[in-house]
Amino acid sequence: MSSVKKLEEVLKDWEAVIGLEIHTELTTLNTKMFCGCKLEFGAQPNTHVCPVCLGLPGALPVPNKAAIESIVLAGLATNCDIEKHSMFYRKNYMYPDMAKNFQTTQGPVAFCMRGYLDLDVDGAGAKERYGLEDLAEGQTQDNITRTKDGYVAHVGITRIHMEEDAGKMIHVGGGEGRIAGATHSLVDYNRAGTPLIELVTEPDLRTPEEARLFMQKLRQIFLALGISDCSMEEGSMRCDGNVSLRRRGTTQFGTKTELKNMNSFKNLHDGLLYEICRQAEVLEEGGIIYQETRHWDPSAKRTIVMRVKETADDYRLFPEPDLAPYDLTDEWIDSVRAKLPELPDQKAARFQRDFGLSAYDARHLVAEPAVAAFFQECMDVSKGPDAQDDSTRKLAKALANLCINDITARANADAAFDLASPECPLTPARAVELVGLISSDAISSKQGKEVFAAVIELDRDPGTIVEERGMKQVSDTGAIEAVVDQVIAENQDAVARYKDGNVKLIGFFVGNCMKALKGQGNPKLINQIVAEKLNQ
Amino acid sequence: MPDMSRYYDLSVSQIREGLASGQFSACELTAAALERVDAEDQKIHAFLQVTPDLAMDAAREVDQRIAQGAFDAMGPLAGVPVAFKDNMNLTGTRTTCASRMLETYVSPYTATCVDKVLQAGGIPLGKLNMDEFAFGSTTESSAFGPTCNPWDLTRVPGGSSGGSAAAVAAGLATVTLGSDTGGSIRQPANFCGVVGVKPTYGTVSRYGVVAFGSSLDQVGPFARSVKDAALAMNALIGRDPKDCTSQDIATDFVAAAQQDVAGMRIGLVPEFMNAPGLSSQVKDRILEAAAKLEAMGAQIVEVTLPNAAASISSYYVLGPCEAFSNLARFDSVRYGYCDPGHRDLQGQYDASREIGFGKEARRRMLLGSYLLASGVYDKYYYPAQKVRTLITQDYARAYESCDVILMPASPRPAFKFGEIADPAEMYLSDVFTVSINIAGNGGMSVPVGLCPQTGMPIGAQLVCPQFKDENMFRAAAALERAFGPAGVAPDFAGRAGE
Repeated sequence: MSSVKKLEEVLKDWEAVIGLEIHTELTTLNTKMFCGCKLEFGAQPNTHVCPVCLGLPGALPVPNKAAIESIVLAGLATNCDIEKHSMFYRKNYMYPDMAKNFQTTQGPVAFCMRGYLDLDVDGAGAKERYGLEDLAEGQTQDNITRTKDGYVAHVGITRIHMEEDAGKMIHVGGGEGRIAGATHSLVDYNRAGTPLIELVTEPDLRTPEEARLFMQKLRQIFLALGISDCSMEEGSMRCDGNVSLRRRGTTQFGTKTELKNMNSFKNLHDGLLYEICRQAEVLEEGGIIYQETRHWDPSAKRTIVMRVKETADDYRLFPEPDLAPYDLTDEWIDSVRAKLPELPDQKAARFQRDFGLSAYDARHLVAEPAVAAFFQECMDVSKGPDAQDDSTRKLAKALANLCINDITARANADAAFDLASPECPLTPARAVELVGLISSDAISSKQGKEVFAAVIELDRDPGTIVEERGMKQVSDTGAIEAVVDQVIAENQDAVARYKDGNVKLIGFFVGNCMKALKGQGNPKLINQIVAEKLNQ
Repeated sequence: MPDMSRYYDLSVSQIREGLASGQFSACELTAAALERVDAEDQKIHAFLQVTPDLAMDAAREVDQRIAQGAFDAMGPLAGVPVAFKDNMNLTGTRTTCASRMLETYVSPYTATCVDKVLQAGGIPLGKLNMDEFAFGSTTESSAFGPTCNPWDLTRVPGGSSGGSAAAVAAGLATVTLGSDTGGSIRQPANFCGVVGVKPTYGTVSRYGVVAFGSSLDQVGPFARSVKDAALAMNALIGRDPKDCTSQDIATDFVAAAQQDVAGMRIGLVPEFMNAPGLSSQVKDRILEAAAKLEAMGAQIVEVTLPNAAASISSYYVLGPCEAFSNLARFDSVRYGYCDPGHRDLQGQYDASREIGFGKEARRRMLLGSYLLASGVYDKYYYPAQKVRTLITQDYARAYESCDVILMPASPRPAFKFGEIADPAEMYLSDVFTVSINIAGNGGMSVPVGLCPQTGMPIGAQLVCPQFKDENMFRAAAALERAFGPAGVAPDFAGRAGE
């Protein structure tokens, strides 16, 4: 039984209750949260440190104003209430990566409270939601509303608070950098004091897919805001999941486990999926779930216990006396609001409105800000907005495909490929030219892929490449007919078998024609002509 | 070389005059000061560290400026022998906080207050003894042995800035810096018969001063005259971008000290004047001070601080809570005492802190750790904060009818070593000082004569509204005119070079 199938089975009997805690480093700021040290990933260890972030005796924190603006932007973009009166607290615990042995964080009132995100769940992912088929389109139950292709989930955000990151521990001498068996440990305080915002969701998520989409949507928003590079791989955006199960129809929460190390969207989905199935198995066998922290091991495809929480940790939280409470004014909050860029949802709606894109295309197009901006530029240099115009809609659809498929794949495979760079060989004009060549049947879509790669490699216009390589698609009916006639004449036995009912042989004829045309024949025309001639 | 035998008695202004007129050079003065520390400090143990190289370098710099004709442009403390409480960082010096934990800790940076004194031309003679991490009122909790009171070596100098007060009283330094969390400047100034100033919270930067209670700590000067203290204040104040609780203050304290008190309203607090523990000798002196101020044209008014009695309880909740958290960084990992041979982190933490910290430090941290624990927090920390608000409001209300409040600095003059052994009784002796830290007001102690029984100095405490520190300087200068300046303790006066 596949794991997804298994999940569907489990979710018939059990309701999974999932909440996320998402830490995002504000990597786009120049300096740390409470000192002037530079923020830089991958620098020589302990080169970006000072008395403040090293917690030397006598040092005092000075808050980074830009970080406060960033968190307020994050709150406004996720429908949070901005609390005008909040303050920093000290969370006291001793660990060598925390130089002061307390973390400066926020208390009961955070800068941002009570927000939400609405998630569009459709396609295969929507199947994870139990009981969806019982809902009619437009019907709302619990926190979801049925749509044509799936549903919209309304997910509450409890709070977003500001805190500082700890340093990084490196354990030496044990296996794989683990502390177990290590002979000694090293600490790099470059990361210590990095501004961090922690978003906590309500326990409103019910499927791994919803969790994945929440994280994905949040990442898109933060990228649009420009407050972080949101790299799950490098750890600038990290997600912990709290999962518990309860029998369908009951309301009491079960015991939750906290899941860590889900450093990609896939790991987030797969880790939660595994954990839900694991808990169901334990519960169905009459076992009990312990409140514990578990580590998702993607290679072994299972979660393992990191730490059992017997009692709640007592962090002795109290107001940070070195930092004055905040008293944000409406004017200031409004000035931050004025800086909000167009958010992914708004952009997707506009792309639908202006260019006639489907909701699905629009949503995927805005996933990466650079890709969305590129698409926008392509439209700007060609058609401009006019959803009523058929040719605009066609061009937009073709460009959207290029962006969602080819460009995204390229960006994922090639770290050096940077659409936003002025040196990027793939300019909007070239992209428009390329999709034009394909849609006018000048080249086949297969040839389009080759041209796409060549444009990036050679930094030349698509038209030039097509000409240089003699790639023009043969759409001349006469030329194709001549080749078809010749192929039919040379393969009379195959013609006989075709006429006897072996219709699959049409592929044989088409392939030979294409070969004779050196791969440049218009496949649609060849197919059509071959069929006509064979059926004569 | 000129006769330097009485240099140690010179005021800041006299030193400036002497240097400007060429009576002596900064190097001569500094050499004499270092010699005197060498000869006399063994009696009182005010210094934990003497910094002759730094002192002579600074002196040469002053002399060079004089030679260049640029002396006038130098700051208010040019050529003045100064020293710092050992919780203040000064690059290249040990900053021990009088604790084993930091016995070998060398500062990689300089505190803003220290830097300001040095920028003003001060000559750094060294670092001064204190109660360990400023926990105490006697310097007896110093891991390196107590400081003695220059007026009577069998008596405590007060604390926690006992070394800073004693050094000035013994004429070992002209100006010193101390820090005051619950009375740690005013009480030792009172015990040693010198002027000690705890400015309004936020007046002097705390950056680089090892924190005890961050919301209570404030740095201030010790001196033998109000004017010297005012000159030091002028050098110390100003907003520091590295301490976001510091404020932009531009008061001229010297000018304030020159104003008379005619028309000033001086408050007396019945709750304090009739406090059960207040000795009659101290009470008499305070009333005498009030009478003299009145004679000089001030108006004496009664003001009440109904919640002041709760200040000790509030202080001994808030202080330990903040201290618990502030001292958590001393964990043996990056610096400080590290007990060798441990194979696990917790074992190393526990042993290093057990050995590195003295008894009083451990007591306060334990107290803070308990008070902040979940379930306990709501019973103590939260009410203590409420009391803090009430006391602050009490003071604000009192200042509606007065410009400065006159009160004792401590219930009685300096006591003998070992005389108070019960920590709770010791804590209660802070009754007149802690409410000022709780409310964030400024306060200073200024000598108002001697105790008829013991011959020990007695100080009066002047307390001012927030950021109205000039008010207390005005009244302090008047008291100084009435009672005479502090002067060097008798046993340390007039014998240098003999």
